[in-house]
Amino acid sequence: MELLPLGFFEWAESSFLGYIGKTYGGIYATLGQSVHLISLAVLGGAVLVSDFRLLGWVLRDVPSEVVAEQAHKWFKIALFTIIASGVFMAAAIAIKLYYNAAYWAKMYALISGVLFVFLVRRPLLKGDHSQINPWVLKLVAVASILVWVSVAATGRWIGFS
Amino acid sequence: MNELLYQFAEWLYATPWSRAIEESFYLYNWIETTHVLTVMLSLGMLIFIDLRMLGWVMPQVSAVKIAQRLNTAMMIGFVIMFITGILLFYAKPTYTIQSIWFRIKMVLLLGAFVNALLFHKRMMSSEGSWDMEPRAPAHLRLGAALSLGLWAGVVTTGRLIAYDWFHCYRDLPAAMAWAAGCVAD
Repeated sequence: MELLPLGFFEWAESSFLGYIGKTYGGIYATLGQSVHLISLAVLGGAVLVSDFRLLGWVLRDVPSEVVAEQAHKWFKIALFTIIASGVFMAAAIAIKLYYNAAYWAKMYALISGVLFVFLVRRPLLKGDHSQINPWVLKLVAVASILVWVSVAATGRWIGFS
Repeated sequence: MNELLYQFAEWLYATPWSRAIEESFYLYNWIETTHVLTVMLSLGMLIFIDLRMLGWVMPQVSAVKIAQRLNTAMMIGFVIMFITGILLFYAKPTYTIQSIWFRIKMVLLLGAFVNALLFHKRMMSSEGSWDMEPRAPAHLRLGAALSLGLWAGVVTTGRLIAYDWFHCYRDLPAAMAWAAGCVAD
């Protein structure tokens, strides 16, 4: 199910942003796609360092509260950059995206990921982790990895659909 | 040299598995997806190590400890990325070998590899004197910044391989045709 009407996508493609992305392939590929991928690496690092710590796979001798706190700062920076570069790319091919199933799958995955982070994961991990059932922490870590890998995978499949 | 490389690419192209991968919609695209997703693991860990050296993440935690503890996960990511990268090249060898972006990517990869070796050597030889400082010494910070820059270049040129703006079947200036490895038909 589409989250926004076709008219919005028609407007986006005819906007200044859409014009730049459609007309200048070099800008689209570098400021759009390349920045999007580099931000994905930062986001991936923030998610995986923190989740691997919760799973006890890395940095076991560093308090998980410290790792989660520091990783979250970079997660927010990466998420902002991913969304900004994503909007720029989407504007250039907006009408095509409206009919692309992988694009909508990514949007649902992204919204799920953002809601999960800001409504579940972050409020839970803000406190003392020793007060939380270790299995809950592990479950949160696995869910977090799954949701962000899904966001990235569905994003890549937009180009194949 | 360019002719030899192209002949090698043509030989690879003629092998059945190369054709099978390129012609399989799901196999090729899942290899590419895995290549891209592994960025989250390999570069994700690498970026955190470099950011720690620059003093921008976990400044209160030992820098060497972070580098050592994240190393295994990072290397697993790089191994998967390397294998899927080879498979992607194997599926489209004649196109890729004549991509100027691919060639620049390989040079940047070599630079990143040499930089990583030097960085590791310098880090281990000076361990203990600065380990708990919020920022690493200047020469290590330079190595970390260089690493981030080189990898950003690798990602960018890797993405640009898909674009054929400067491919051999276009009318290219002689220097660029040489750099892209164009050979006469």
